Amino acid sequence: MIEWTFDRVARVIELTLALAFILAILLNFSNVVGRYLFGVSLLGSDEVQVFIMVGMTFLGAAIVTRRNQHLRMDVLLQFMPAPVRAVLRLAEQLLLATLACFVLTQSYFYARQIFRIGRTSDMTGIPMWIPHGMVVLGFGLILVIAVWRAVGIARRTPEPIHDGEAKP
Amino acid sequence: MTFALVVVPVVLLLLGFPIFMVLLTGVTVALVFFMHVPLVVMHQNLFGSVNATPLLAVPFFIYAGELMGRGSVAQRLVDFVQGGVGSVRGSLGVTAVGTSAIFGAISGASAATVATIGKVMVPAMRRAGYPETFTAGLITAVGAIDVIIPPSIPMIVYGAAAEESVARLYAAGVIPGLMIAAMLAAYVMWRARRENFGAGERFDLRRFLRAAGRSLWALGAPVIILGGIYGGVFSPTEAAAVACVYAGLVTTLVFRELGWRDIVEAAAATVMFTGQILIIVACAGVFAWLLTVNQVPAAVSAWLQSLNVSAWMLLLAINILLLAVGCFLDPLSAILLLSPLLVPMVKSVGIDTVHFGIVVTVNLAIGLFHPPFGINIFVAQTVLGLKLETIYRGIIPFVILYLIALALITYIPDISLIGVRYLLARG
Repeated sequence: MIEWTFDRVARVIELTLALAFILAILLNFSNVVGRYLFGVSLLGSDEVQVFIMVGMTFLGAAIVTRRNQHLRMDVLLQFMPAPVRAVLRLAEQLLLATLACFVLTQSYFYARQIFRIGRTSDMTGIPMWIPHGMVVLGFGLILVIAVWRAVGIARRTPEPIHDGEAKP
Repeated sequence: MTFALVVVPVVLLLLGFPIFMVLLTGVTVALVFFMHVPLVVMHQNLFGSVNATPLLAVPFFIYAGELMGRGSVAQRLVDFVQGGVGSVRGSLGVTAVGTSAIFGAISGASAATVATIGKVMVPAMRRAGYPETFTAGLITAVGAIDVIIPPSIPMIVYGAAAEESVARLYAAGVIPGLMIAAMLAAYVMWRARRENFGAGERFDLRRFLRAAGRSLWALGAPVIILGGIYGGVFSPTEAAAVACVYAGLVTTLVFRELGWRDIVEAAAATVMFTGQILIIVACAGVFAWLLTVNQVPAAVSAWLQSLNVSAWMLLLAINILLLAVGCFLDPLSAILLLSPLLVPMVKSVGIDTVHFGIVVTVNLAIGLFHPPFGINIFVAQTVLGLKLETIYRGIIPFVILYLIALALITYIPDISLIGVRYLLARG
């Protein structure tokens, strides 16, 4: 049930970001067309596109974590005995949870500060806690995934394999 | 500090931890245990590293390549190049090189090119009796041209890290990319003649014109992207967005191969790629910031000046370093980590930073297929079903060819800079 929920949440985030990304492309393209055909530019369009990319980076990283598809150099790992690999996988999840917790804390305090002072972006007036909050949300999700996975490894529960994921 | 920024990352990297974690652990240890700065700098630098308009071109170009790769574009380009070079000995090998060069002018993602072109070319080369080691080596090596011929994602990241114009880098990358393609094609023809395989067939003008007609829309993408950038019509980011819209229209409305669901799924795949790549960029940005505030680049530059090292010796040392690093790290992480160190060094001995950008890109392109860990080797192994041992044996002549090209590009700056002089629009 929890695995299913993780997968559904990851898919919803992925599709939302995909649609936002298509919007970013259309905004950029409209800017080019507007500049050459009508002599006008969409003010603040760049800001919106960059904030979408920020979302793709940190929320996308959470989806990549869920699907175990982060880039790594794991050739040497394949030559290690299975018990060593299992210990390393557990250590990886514990370290990831610690790092995510650290970044989450720092990012949360920063985003909360931005929210309190009501800072907005220069061109479009987007509240800046939203793009900064994507870092919080992304690392929050990574923390939950890492803790859940660490518990699964400690209990020796087999993990689901996703498309393109390296087999453990 | 050396423990945090060198020992911890190297150990975690060798243990197979994800690269973003390797970097994040190093900077976290440095910030918490060795530096007296507010810890919120972690968030500011993570966010600031990707809150950059030039980086938008990265997901845009990935998406354009993703759209073009999902339909029959690769097959159309192969038919076009094959129609043109079909009469030479080793024509299928030359076709693989030519198609990769054209595909590189659309996407700029090397592994995707190995998979896309390889799926078409490997079965054809097997049927035509090409030696398996030769086929494996060629297909694995040829994708590296993609990151040298613009649009190139490593060049965008180098431009951001070294504060250099991406348009100038793109202009500089054309001739080195074409030169490597020409060297590969010449080698293919020489091997085919020496070992008597890959006999050509008679040139058929009608077949060539038919293939040219079928590939016209696909060939339009590089014309729009590179023509737009060099002509001063678009910025590289805008060219990438225009390429996405063009690729979307061509694959849905002209070729009628993709539907709206495919368009969204290709965007979802791009979200995944972006999550994989830009999280590393964000973490590498914090790492580079730490190096800068600890004045490591300035110290290295001063040390170098005290040694009175000449430009050619410095370039030789950097090439060796980059080739070694390229065997273990992906190009983007390597560029972000090393640029703050290397760019001040090369500036101090009077090396042009555009020329240096191409040297860096070619080095890291070699790392993409260099044994034992080049990522394209594993793409060829898993996607194309080639044996690792066969790839390793077949790749060696191509590594040597690329190293010769690297030496020429490193020590003859005009190979890169001539493009900047003549390709970019004046004013």
